[in-house]
Amino acid sequence: MTAPASRTIARCLPFGDPRHLEAHQFLVDEAALLDTQDYDTWMSLLTADIRYVMPVRVSTARGAGFDTAPGMAHFDEDHYSLSRRVARFATEHAWTEDPPSRLRHHVSNVRTFPLDHTDDEVVVESAVLLFRSRGDVREPSLISAGREDVLRRDPTRGAPSAGHWMLARRTVSVDESVLRTQNLAIFL
Amino acid sequence: MRDQASVLEDVRQGMIPAHIYNDDEIFALEKERVFGRAWMFLAHESEIPHAGDYVVRRVVDDSFIVSRDESGAVRAMFNMCLHRGMQVCRAEMGNASHFRCPYHGWSYKNDGRLVGLPFHGEAYGGEEGFRKKGQTLLPAPSLDTYNGLIFVSLDPAAPPLREYLGDFAFYLDFYTQQSAEGIELVGPQRWRVKANWKIGAENFAGDSYHTPHTHSSVVEIGLFREPKASKRKEGALYWAGRGGGTTYKLPPGTLDERLRYVGYPDEMIARMRATWSDAHLAMVGDDGFMVSAASAFPNLSLVHNWPKVEDTESDDVTPFISLRQWQPVSADETEVLSWFAVDRNAPQRFKELSYKAYLMCFGSTGMFEQDDVENWVSITSTAAGSMARRLRLNSRMGLLADDKPVSPPLAHFSGPGVAYVGFGEYNQRAMLRHWADALEAPPPEEGTVDLGGTS
Ligand code: FES
Ligand SMILES: [Fe+2]
Repeated sequence: MTAPASRTIARCLPFGDPRHLEAHQFLVDEAALLDTQDYDTWMSLLTADIRYVMPVRVSTARGAGFDTAPGMAHFDEDHYSLSRRVARFATEHAWTEDPPSRLRHHVSNVRTFPLDHTDDEVVVESAVLLFRSRGDVREPSLISAGREDVLRRDPTRGAPSAGHWMLARRTVSVDESVLRTQNLAIFL
Repeated sequence: MRDQASVLEDVRQGMIPAHIYNDDEIFALEKERVFGRAWMFLAHESEIPHAGDYVVRRVVDDSFIVSRDESGAVRAMFNMCLHRGMQVCRAEMGNASHFRCPYHGWSYKNDGRLVGLPFHGEAYGGEEGFRKKGQTLLPAPSLDTYNGLIFVSLDPAAPPLREYLGDFAFYLDFYTQQSAEGIELVGPQRWRVKANWKIGAENFAGDSYHTPHTHSSVVEIGLFREPKASKRKEGALYWAGRGGGTTYKLPPGTLDERLRYVGYPDEMIARMRATWSDAHLAMVGDDGFMVSAASAFPNLSLVHNWPKVEDTESDDVTPFISLRQWQPVSADETEVLSWFAVDRNAPQRFKELSYKAYLMCFGSTGMFEQDDVENWVSITSTAAGSMARRLRLNSRMGLLADDKPVSPPLAHFSGPGVAYVGFGEYNQRAMLRHWADALEAPPPEEGTVDLGGTS
């Protein structure tokens, strides 16, 4: 995928910029929540109009003009559907994560881009590598993905994150067309 | 493998030697005798609507380009260059008038015909030396469609698809023919699970018994109108022809009321009325049974359910349909291909909500699917050892010791085949009886295709 013109190298905030530092901290703090499956706290960092999307990637000829399956995603979530997923994990009968997976979200390649029309939102790109191990018999699985997030500053300044940033939009661009993990009972 | 005859005999008794879920010898036999002969689902016509559209799909180890040629005909061509065997198409989907082999540049039209051969004259002496005319990529030995579902069989002598499906075709209509124009198929999501392919196929065919337990979390979070998952035992289990499935018993009411209960808008109900046969309408309207999960032998499954997809006070639910294939990779690994299906004529808003319902319940992120697969992966790894060779799993639910059913089949059931109400492993046994029959039959004739060049 090619990045839009708003995200050229020249537009990327210097790594010393406070907005970048806060965005980076947001992603690292969030990774710790996802590793420990602290989904209640995670949900408190999502805006009410959250869109959380993970398209299905497909192999297409160079120049085909698309590399995702038309009309199909792995995740295509709003606040309600995410809340149901999280509520399910909180029941005593979500067998797929009981015993829980051992998870490690490795977050890197973080770049932050300002927006022209507002100071209260930034676009953040990152790479994530999720290591997931279940039980004592099976091979672990890896999921590699790029992410493009919109972070929005909570107008009430109530969000518990650095700088009160919240996640308003996430597009996860997974790097495999056929996933090598038994399910996506995890978040990226 | 243990003595094959005794394994198949046990299977027919409903006592399943556990190792059949993870056994390389059995898998080799399945490749030859099950997947080498059965009608295998590849794609739906709506995935390749325009001339030149193609998708690349597999039958176990064999890759096929499924394309719509310039005349509008659907083709399935073995994705291997006639020259040195390179994959002619390495994309999963797209649109192309021609496929050019990356190795030496032979090129093929989207109907498979060989049209370009670099240095044909110098290297081969032109048409005289190697007749290009009439050469095509190897077509699938048999190709047939039902309701736009494209199937191939590696057996050139396969019976017509409709005959193979038998009365299961009636049930396919519920999922794929809700109006005269049929479905659009969207997807697939693809992922690999370390589970034997048979486990999912058997589960979808008839395991209503697992729903109250495996899927209790989905009910607890308020996704369904039915508070008790144990409602499941009031549904009928049917087997007909080459497939079978589960149903839910709907509350009392007319046909329209029952279809509305499931979440269908009136305009879709009107089209179902105009499209379905009297028997289809009676199964829902009179008998009160609505199709849920189903499987056709060997590895095609379907599911239909109706969760709440919006955060409202109302009880409104939205139905979704999914179609999936358990594509075997090895004895202990399966690639799942899971599609979302929706009636082509459904209102746009319905399509959006139905897609959402699908994602919440099934597929790579589906909340039902997540717990299913955890079970199947665990079964498969446990079936690999020597103790599993000594264990015969009890798959006799619904049968007494003398093989009589615990309760008799339904006397009145509007659909074809045999149906029972209540829990029972009738369909899993039927599935594995087809499997045992297939393993016993001698392998199909392969035949070869003459490419010319020597004569
Ligand atoms: S292998 Fe395809 S042109 Fe040679
Ligand atoms: Fe299930």
